[in-house]
Amino acid sequence: MGFLDTGSTVFYGTGVTNIKVSGKMRFVNNETIDIKLEEKKTSPKEEIIRFKKAIEITAKETRALAKRARETLGEGEGQIFEIHAMLLEDEDFNDTVIGEIEKGKSCEKAVEISAKKYASVLRSLNDEYLSARASDIEDICKSIITTLSAKNEKNDDSNEPYILVARDLTPSETVKLDKSKILGFVTFEGSPSSHTAILARAMSIPALVGVGEISGAYDGNIALLDGEKGTLVVSPSNDELLEFEKKKAYENKIATEHERYLRSIMNRPAVTKRGHKVLIYANVGSGEEIEPALLNGAEGLGLLRSEFLYLSRSSYPSEDELFSAYYEIATKMQGKRAIIRTLDIGADKQIPYFKLDKEENPALGYRGVRICLDRVDVFKTQIRAILRASAYGNISIMIPMISTLNELERCKYIINECKNELKEKGVRFDEKIELGIMIETPASALISDELAKEVDFFSVGTNDLTQYTLAIDRQNAKVTSICEENKEAVFKLIKMSADAIHQKGGWIGVCGEMAADLSLTQHFVDMGIDELSVAVPYLLGVREKVCACK
Amino acid sequence: MKELIFKINDKNGLHARPAGVLSESARKYKSDIMVRCDEKEANAKRLLSLMALGATNGKELHITINGEDENEAEVAIKSVLEKALG
Repeated sequence: MGFLDTGSTVFYGTGVTNIKVSGKMRFVNNETIDIKLEEKKTSPKEEIIRFKKAIEITAKETRALAKRARETLGEGEGQIFEIHAMLLEDEDFNDTVIGEIEKGKSCEKAVEISAKKYASVLRSLNDEYLSARASDIEDICKSIITTLSAKNEKNDDSNEPYILVARDLTPSETVKLDKSKILGFVTFEGSPSSHTAILARAMSIPALVGVGEISGAYDGNIALLDGEKGTLVVSPSNDELLEFEKKKAYENKIATEHERYLRSIMNRPAVTKRGHKVLIYANVGSGEEIEPALLNGAEGLGLLRSEFLYLSRSSYPSEDELFSAYYEIATKMQGKRAIIRTLDIGADKQIPYFKLDKEENPALGYRGVRICLDRVDVFKTQIRAILRASAYGNISIMIPMISTLNELERCKYIINECKNELKEKGVRFDEKIELGIMIETPASALISDELAKEVDFFSVGTNDLTQYTLAIDRQNAKVTSICEENKEAVFKLIKMSADAIHQKGGWIGVCGEMAADLSLTQHFVDMGIDELSVAVPYLLGVREKVCACK
Repeated sequence: MKELIFKINDKNGLHARPAGVLSESARKYKSDIMVRCDEKEANAKRLLSLMALGATNGKELHITINGEDENEAEVAIKSVLEKALG
């Protein structure tokens, strides 16, 4: 906290959202668990009944809140309240409260003591995240006590929106904030990893947490909240206010103008100034991402990770289950190309029922196509399902982790077997279904001339290609900076692969993280890359960049 | 009795969300399911005690499942852990 010559006071905290807002501050006195606790009036037996009733009502209300949060904010936000409901019903917590009541405490007092006990256990673990959960427990405790006293929070009659200032906000208070009345909020305590901060982010509420004590004397003063800088300027001078408003308006204008511009180019082909056309595809990890991808102008799916169909279950999916998922994807894409990458699991991406051994060096171990060629039944089930879905849309198959010609030949042999099996049964599929491989090992790039004869397309997985080329563990922060400075070797391999496949009349895409790096787009264009596949949020930005390329 | 060892791979450790999913799943089975982390032990069916384990990223959870439906419980717990913390 410091004083400027102008008489304004600045408080520093952590911004939760990057938004600026200005307005009157209103202090809300909401000392957590600072509710007047009644002295015991009734017998323990009656108190226990009151307590159980209160738990029942509060759990019901909390579940309703969970439903509301889930519908309006999202799954994760809804889960926060679902957990609150579970904590309310937690046997340890209930036993502790009942124990306190039996010792002669009032229901309210017993709840307070128990909540404090568990909150302090969590705080003592010296873990920022779990300490933040202590506040969740206090939040629930407060809900129970509110229910017990059946006292509602006072309503606001003023219509002017304001910046809410409080010691701390509980997640349930945050989700109940009325965005038409609240410009933003500031809390003395709280951390950016609290559920309150997570909710504020999801609700796009300008917020600042952990600013330290602010005197209640400032209640009603004008303040400037800057979520980006993490500052709160109280009683700003006219100049400060004017400059802040100007910046705010400018940022809003830029943000909306850029957004509008990106929307306007959504359906424009991505063609460089010299006339090289680049297809902009999306990387998706499940069918649910297809709609957002199409809404952001994806011309196809450059990488559909098929692992999602194998995760969160306890046995292998059947051919029919896989087929119906691929069928849905094929139809959702409305004729646009969807490249399904066959199963790419490995010792680091474990699926329990595959029963893979733990490995010392998973990146160089048993993964991707190496597993599929070993467990041919699993592979064939997936291939047949993809082939069957190909009758209903524009589907391609892509094999990951190829490093020898022999692997590719064996894959092709298996795919042919599957085609023959379907033909015998008279099942329809696209006979001309395209086949591609990932270029993600240096070996595949070095023999790309051989591989190019066998496939329709390549797609470069830059993350693995970088890791294998530079011998850099992607997870090891000590060495990752090396790739930043040494992309040249990786580019040589990509160029080599691009030339090889073009010579054979095929095409090449890039689907790793590099594809979304706008500082590399011109490089890719120069190499003649035909398709860039990126995560949904980058689709429009990459399209804009390609159009601006030479 | 079934025994499982699981290494936490989630920067936030066994926090409220995964602990909630774990205890919800554990409650579906009759077997006793205990989770040990370092020297602390918790009943998997009890959310608060799970959270109080202080099971942070990189630590190992030792899970013992004991009871008539231990086989089914083992499969379920394993998949829940993989999904929530793997």
